[in-house]
Amino acid sequence: MHRVEIDAQVNLLGENKRYAEENRRFLRERGIVAVNIMGAIGSGKTLLIEKTVEKMSDVKIGVILGDVVCRADYERVSKHDVVAEAINTGKECHLDAYLIHRSIRKLENVNLILIENVGNLVCPVDFDLGENKRVVMVSVTEGDDVVEKHPEIFRLADVIIINKTELAEFVGASVEKMEKDAGRLNPHAKIIKMDLKQNRGIEEWIEFLRGVMDVSGSTSRNS
Amino acid sequence: MSFALAILENTIRIAKERNAWVIRKIRVEVGELLMINPEQLEFCFRSISKGTVAESAVLEIEIAKARVMCDRCGSKLNSPYTPCRCGGYGRVYGGKDMILKTVSMEVDDAQG
Repeated sequence: MHRVEIDAQVNLLGENKRYAEENRRFLRERGIVAVNIMGAIGSGKTLLIEKTVEKMSDVKIGVILGDVVCRADYERVSKHDVVAEAINTGKECHLDAYLIHRSIRKLENVNLILIENVGNLVCPVDFDLGENKRVVMVSVTEGDDVVEKHPEIFRLADVIIINKTELAEFVGASVEKMEKDAGRLNPHAKIIKMDLKQNRGIEEWIEFLRGVMDVSGSTSRNS
Repeated sequence: MSFALAILENTIRIAKERNAWVIRKIRVEVGELLMINPEQLEFCFRSISKGTVAESAVLEIEIAKARVMCDRCGSKLNSPYTPCRCGGYGRVYGGKDMILKTVSMEVDDAQG
């Protein structure tokens, strides 16, 4: 018996990266745009998806809903005219590329896939899903320091949505501070101030999505 | 927990390939921007490695710094979250990987 040291050099995120690249190829070949919507619990992710589906009734939309255990979001979204897939992650607090790899194969006839990640602002950022765009949604009710407390997820976002702006004065939050923090962390991200219940900011979001779809040519392929 | 599981699964796979009967030490490099607390990672690893060949292994965690350069003047920055004094922003290289570097294990004399 003797001791050996193995020079392993294994990239532990490599497997996720491999599935993410496969997902990207699958989506590109079919002209599908996928958007990864991350954000805190209760920030408004599911309502954003419901409103998006209503506003983009001319587009074939698929929705993937990640939750730890329950199917409540899936039940909500399934009432709309979309193909929905629920993923229960169990003990894991994020979606990964392997889970998406399985789900997108059931959505190959859509133009747009909206992925609702598990609600938190920490883990989802480390897992590339093969998506086209990353969105982070927060609301003023989480406190106006929520952006500066979670810098990494905002640094890597393409779109940052600040929701429930109408409630800011009632919870003592400054939308301007949140917007400033987001701009400091990520000068390239599009920042949308939104109040979904009042339908404020939703048009800007829809315009963004249509722009992404136009660039990728997705509307001409599966429509 | 998923990171701890990835470490455990890979070390057990390597141990099996060498017919090792116990793993003594595991060295892991963790990118600082993964924001992983080493103590939590070690705690998770301890919890899930019980009853495996890695149960008594020492887990050495080394944090790998990201390289951050100003996208305007090229100066080296200390943080990707703070703009440069010139008004530019940080361009980040590295800091997002997690590498299983080495695994030390006891094997039979016929092995290894």
